[in-house]
Amino acid sequence: MKKYHSILRPACITWLLLIFLAKAQAQSRQVDGTINDETGAAMQGADIIIKGSSKGVRSDPKGKFTITIPENSAVLIISHVGYVTQELPATTGSTLRITMQKNATALNDVVVIGYGTQRRREVTGSVATIDLTATKDIPAANPTRLLVGQAPGVTATQATGKPGSEFTINVRGLGSLGAGSAPLYVVDGFPVGTSLGQNFNGSDIENISILKDAVSTAIYGARGSNGVVLITTKNGKAGAPVLNVSSSYGIQNIPSNRKVKMLNGQEFAQFKKDIFMDKIRYFQNREPDINEVPLDYRYPEQTKNSTNWFDATLHDNAPFQNYYVSLSQGNSNLHSMLSAGYTRQEGILLNTKFDNLSVRGNIDGKVNDNISMGLKVNGSFATNNLAQATEGRDNIVGASLIADPRDPIYNADGSYHAYVGGHDGVFGFSNPVMSLTDIQSRQNIGQLLTNAFIEISFLKNFKFKSSLNGLLNYNSYKQFIPSYIPGENAPPPRDASETDQQINTRNYSTDQLLTYNNTFGSHRINVLLGYTAQDEKTTTLNAGGAQFPSDLTPFLGSAALKTGVNSGEYGWSLNAFFGRVNYVFAEKYLFSGSFRREGSSRFGEGVKYGNFPAVSAGWRISNEKFMSGISWLSDMKLRGSWGITGNNGIPNYGALAFMSDKNYILDNNLVRGQVVSNIPNPLLKWEKSKQLDLGVDLAAFQDKLTFTAEYYDKITSDMLLSIPLPAISGFTTYLANVGKVQNKGFEFAARYKTKVRNIGLWVSGNVSINRNKVLAINGPSDRLLAGDFYGGYNISRPGSPIGAIFGFRMLGVFKNQAEIDKSPYQDGAIPGVYKYYDADHNDTISYDTKDMVQIGNPWPKFTYGLTIGGDFKHFDWSVLINGAQGYDIYRVIEASTMNMDGVFNVLEESKQRYRNEQNPGNGRFATTNTWKWERESNSRYVYSGSHMWIRNISLGYTFNPTTPKLMFKSLRLYASGDNLFLITKYPGSNPDINNRGGINPGLDDEAYPLARTFTFGANFTF
Amino acid sequence: MKVKVIIIHLLIIMVTLSCKKDYLDKTDPTKINTGLFYKDAKQVEQAVNGVYGTLQDIANDQWITNELPSDNTTIDFNPGDRGQSDRIEAFEFYTVNGNSTNLNTSYIAYYNSIYNINNTLAKMQGATGLTDSIKAVNEGQLKFIRAYLYFELTQYYGDVVLITRPLTQPSEAWTYLRESQSKVYAQIETDLKDAVTGLPIKYQAGHVGRATKGAALSLLGKVYLTEKKYADAATTLSQVLPLGYDLNNDYADAFNPQKKNGIESIFEIQYNASVDGEWSSFIYTFAPRLSAGAVTGWPQSNPGGWNIPTNDIINAYEPGDKRKDASVGLDFKSPVTGETVPYIKKYNHPHAVYGRTDDNWPVLRYSDVLLMLAEAINEQGAPTTDAYTYLNKVRHRAGLADVSGLTQQTFRDTVAHERRVELAFENWRWFDLKRTMTPDELTTFLNAYAATEKAHPTVTRQGVPYSNTDYVFSAFEALFPVPANEIIVNPKLTQTPGY
Repeated sequence: MKKYHSILRPACITWLLLIFLAKAQAQSRQVDGTINDETGAAMQGADIIIKGSSKGVRSDPKGKFTITIPENSAVLIISHVGYVTQELPATTGSTLRITMQKNATALNDVVVIGYGTQRRREVTGSVATIDLTATKDIPAANPTRLLVGQAPGVTATQATGKPGSEFTINVRGLGSLGAGSAPLYVVDGFPVGTSLGQNFNGSDIENISILKDAVSTAIYGARGSNGVVLITTKNGKAGAPVLNVSSSYGIQNIPSNRKVKMLNGQEFAQFKKDIFMDKIRYFQNREPDINEVPLDYRYPEQTKNSTNWFDATLHDNAPFQNYYVSLSQGNSNLHSMLSAGYTRQEGILLNTKFDNLSVRGNIDGKVNDNISMGLKVNGSFATNNLAQATEGRDNIVGASLIADPRDPIYNADGSYHAYVGGHDGVFGFSNPVMSLTDIQSRQNIGQLLTNAFIEISFLKNFKFKSSLNGLLNYNSYKQFIPSYIPGENAPPPRDASETDQQINTRNYSTDQLLTYNNTFGSHRINVLLGYTAQDEKTTTLNAGGAQFPSDLTPFLGSAALKTGVNSGEYGWSLNAFFGRVNYVFAEKYLFSGSFRREGSSRFGEGVKYGNFPAVSAGWRISNEKFMSGISWLSDMKLRGSWGITGNNGIPNYGALAFMSDKNYILDNNLVRGQVVSNIPNPLLKWEKSKQLDLGVDLAAFQDKLTFTAEYYDKITSDMLLSIPLPAISGFTTYLANVGKVQNKGFEFAARYKTKVRNIGLWVSGNVSINRNKVLAINGPSDRLLAGDFYGGYNISRPGSPIGAIFGFRMLGVFKNQAEIDKSPYQDGAIPGVYKYYDADHNDTISYDTKDMVQIGNPWPKFTYGLTIGGDFKHFDWSVLINGAQGYDIYRVIEASTMNMDGVFNVLEESKQRYRNEQNPGNGRFATTNTWKWERESNSRYVYSGSHMWIRNISLGYTFNPTTPKLMFKSLRLYASGDNLFLITKYPGSNPDINNRGGINPGLDDEAYPLARTFTFGANFTF
Repeated sequence: MKVKVIIIHLLIIMVTLSCKKDYLDKTDPTKINTGLFYKDAKQVEQAVNGVYGTLQDIANDQWITNELPSDNTTIDFNPGDRGQSDRIEAFEFYTVNGNSTNLNTSYIAYYNSIYNINNTLAKMQGATGLTDSIKAVNEGQLKFIRAYLYFELTQYYGDVVLITRPLTQPSEAWTYLRESQSKVYAQIETDLKDAVTGLPIKYQAGHVGRATKGAALSLLGKVYLTEKKYADAATTLSQVLPLGYDLNNDYADAFNPQKKNGIESIFEIQYNASVDGEWSSFIYTFAPRLSAGAVTGWPQSNPGGWNIPTNDIINAYEPGDKRKDASVGLDFKSPVTGETVPYIKKYNHPHAVYGRTDDNWPVLRYSDVLLMLAEAINEQGAPTTDAYTYLNKVRHRAGLADVSGLTQQTFRDTVAHERRVELAFENWRWFDLKRTMTPDELTTFLNAYAATEKAHPTVTRQGVPYSNTDYVFSAFEALFPVPANEIIVNPKLTQTPGY
């Protein structure tokens, strides 16, 4: 307590000094004035500076100011955030009346930063703001969709097309190997975590800022190193009440060129027959008799059915609907915004759906000149109708590719043909259409998000703000699998089963912020001191049931057996003191420094606290005299920052070890047993990132063109990682601080906006170049191998990128025995299998990882986004493009869709497989005579993932009726196409699929497909 | 001064809104921290019980490594699931390599159990309320289990990592490498001798099923026999005789869940169908693949079709051997081929709930001790009267005539045959083959068995030819490769020769 008192003392002295100085100056030559905005309201906080000097004052709440000028006449520069700067001549004793004009250019915008706001031109950190006007027509069931391609250094990828799902957001590369790499989301000052969830309605958003460098994020300390996404919700503006009603309706489809081409029924029967006969030809060296061939595929041309299972699972023209109503109003004392939104996205897979109903009330106002208060309440309820599981080979999407195409969807009597395949050596799968339709799998998420604050202004320049934020999340899940649903290779009837789950989370945080703002002379200073504490607790309740009397009562009460009944609780807490000083001198020299000391419950005793300092400086060269001749350049700023941030995205109790139940039976009765469940690491500490950022911001041609270039270098050390342990220790992994990773890169962003007569045009683009490299792994082994022998490996080792794709380098297909004989020895190889590269040059390809090499880099050389838009009279249009270039994907699903055993349906291209020396195929498909040396992790499954998305094209028409008879003030109609075109050579449908994530990047094992959406919408303003 | 007052007030608000000192101290409320455990006799007993619990996991999959490679069992070939080609099937076809997920799982399970033993042995020293006699019984049980686990491990891998105390630092794990088999045996013998001293002959009600003195002696006898220390084996095993064991009248009773831990039982892994998480499900693994409810009694079953008795063992039963009907089921015909698919019957008993059986897993039985004793005596020169008594006692119960007048070699062969059928599908056949044969003999023997099975598979393969690497046994394959993953983690760990 004493300590913080002493920190504050210098601030008090400074303030006393200021009073003294102000009085001393009052005796010189004076100019008085009043500043108003366009509506005539008094403007507080405008800066009045004497041109050619660094002296200045600021207008008071009544818009009045008094300034002392050095001579009898001077030129005053009057500026205010968001308004056009004016220059006026003034003489001693005169009284000025100044009306400020609004300025729409970006440079004067207020940028939302951590625990505050800053003028764009004074920002010395790296803060990207999303242009929400460019993304307004996108059918976004989740607000993270709005980030795609919009900000340099920020990648938003859609690994799954599940309705309402969140996008994966990465800021400046993958900064961590083992702890999470998602950014921190902060909604109206409330850090809600590393996920925004599904319930948040994007239409409520006023502003999204993304903090990227250390000076911007260090104020969030241990959660800052992956970047911070700040979301501010809308509030009413002064003026008459405004009612907005908007609605949109869209239809979703999968374009045929994004579908994988598999064999049809007849072709598959032929494939089966060829396999059977080729095996006899090869192993028994004779021509098989037709009557030896099993009847199921003896005559492929007589195959009765051919089902394209993937097509069968699709819900063509699946509707997307969005409705939003908001009422906002405000006067000088009170602002409010009430909104209600409903989003409903039916999935492109049958019987899947997401809907979300969200209501919000934001209100804030002044109690008196010194006290203001505010409250934001957001309640929402989202429902997911899920498919049982969609990601990976064994689930709906993968299975719909590889299931036997010779089976029909329906039997002759109209019932489902339940068990697909499962005979003549083909895998048995559940009919995917039936699985989607008949398995109940539903998740309900209710959420209450609140922010409340009280702010007290005192002593002119001080403000104290106390806020309390709360999040309640109620998540329930139920799945019922009827008895007639088969399993993989498990024909029905089976035991029906039910799973029920409830996860309830409550999270609250409180912030106490003391700010000091002052401008004196050419100095502007902003000081922030704060304390924050946050606590989250989750309780869980799980239960399952089996053995139902029938499928008609899918409730646990009917289950003869209750399974997996369990309750749990977990949580974390953190607290931190922090402070920040922003200092501007003469509008030219900008400095900022911040410090946060934070403790987290997740870390070991004695290492719970971490310190996170950051500093930055900026120089607005354009305000220097020597630049005054360059008239086209309106602003130019050089800036740099350095600081330390942390990452605490590890399990809640990682530093501790626990006992777990391991019961036993003695004398035929239960006895309780306990075993150790993990190895503790009491030394577990913060993962820290040190980040340097250098940037230049330019504005030219009356701010029509803005340009930003940045360089950053971020080194993350003490990385938290679950590292492999020899099993003889009793365990296979433990959590430790190992390793060091570097992410460095360049980011460029430019925007040009012009209007020629009534034709407006704007272009905005960005390019991000990130290189990540493992610098050290200080574990017992200097490499981390993730994945498995047949499913793709990723390797992380010093000097290489994180999770480089690793496997055998496939050199071709062995044409004949002679070729095998003269190649390095591959045990059991026969003609037609893949020939691999002998990496260790010992003339043997060993059937393990010894001959494996890096066969791909999952990280793009660069990513980019481009938005072009314009308007003409009542029309407006925009095109959004984004892409990634120069990276590789390991297409794991092809280990199945190219499986030559005849147990799965295979790619149409498999017709060009190796049959014999005379028919060696196209060199990509191995023989059907064996499986060895075909499906091991190898470069055959690696493809370039480079792609360009024409993400969205939209066209709008705005109608402003002149006749007062119509009730509305304006109406905008629009049409848009979303996920419109994908331009790529990648054979999969979505180059963003990343089934495993983390240190296992760039693997595609199929996922919920992405649909193309055409939307029509109407927005009314009353 | 007003400024100061306000600031002080604000700071008071800030500090009071901040929290108690222990705000950041969080622990998992659903579990006990290891640092707070092993404090009293009750907790130590729970830790010992936990070690027994780990044996269930091991027993559930042990047939893969102990029975499937032998001539006793094969697989119900599934042409539709070739993903198994390099997994479980590899143990039948002798194509096991270091990437075997089954070996990996097994290896982890064994050493996890050993960790809990070592940890409990060390931590119990500081527990309160632990009398010397209770401590001795706890130590005896843990050392018996440790010896059993190392005995299994050294049969699998030969030289293995030997670790008998808890690690103080995770980094120590990299310093442990494979030790010679003789060192491993020495440790096993030490542990078992301690167990013999510390363990009681019988337990009071509520504790039946814990390791006994008889169990320790029987296992020590088996270890000596494996080491070819026949005199030691005979001495040790004969100490089991006066402990009150006998054979059941009905061979099938040894496997009957209604008669668990009977007079013949020396050590078995305990299960109970009616206790959550404590049931067994062996028959669901062993029943023919397409048998649905025909064997298990529950039509929703989707059995594994693993560990199928071979024609070879079915034909090995002498006429009139009562054990055949108790051990092998021959009443199921495949709906696809119409042919009989045999299955292991020992672990098939009616059970009230789908998927949950009550069958215990037999580890050591009195008949095993009798046959080991007969073998140990015979190996010291010739069959004695006692040796015949022990052998014929087992044969008599099976409804077979006594044998007499055998040479050492024919007696040896008779015991080997007797062990095969008496202990069929109890996870001893693979070890018995390796124990009683030289590597060359084993290679010849297994390739002969493989040739028979390949020519006339017990279960038809529906026209699918064998791969040319299937069923080719080389001498080095008598030992398994250590999981490749372990060598990736610790490159200093050596691989089993040949792999």
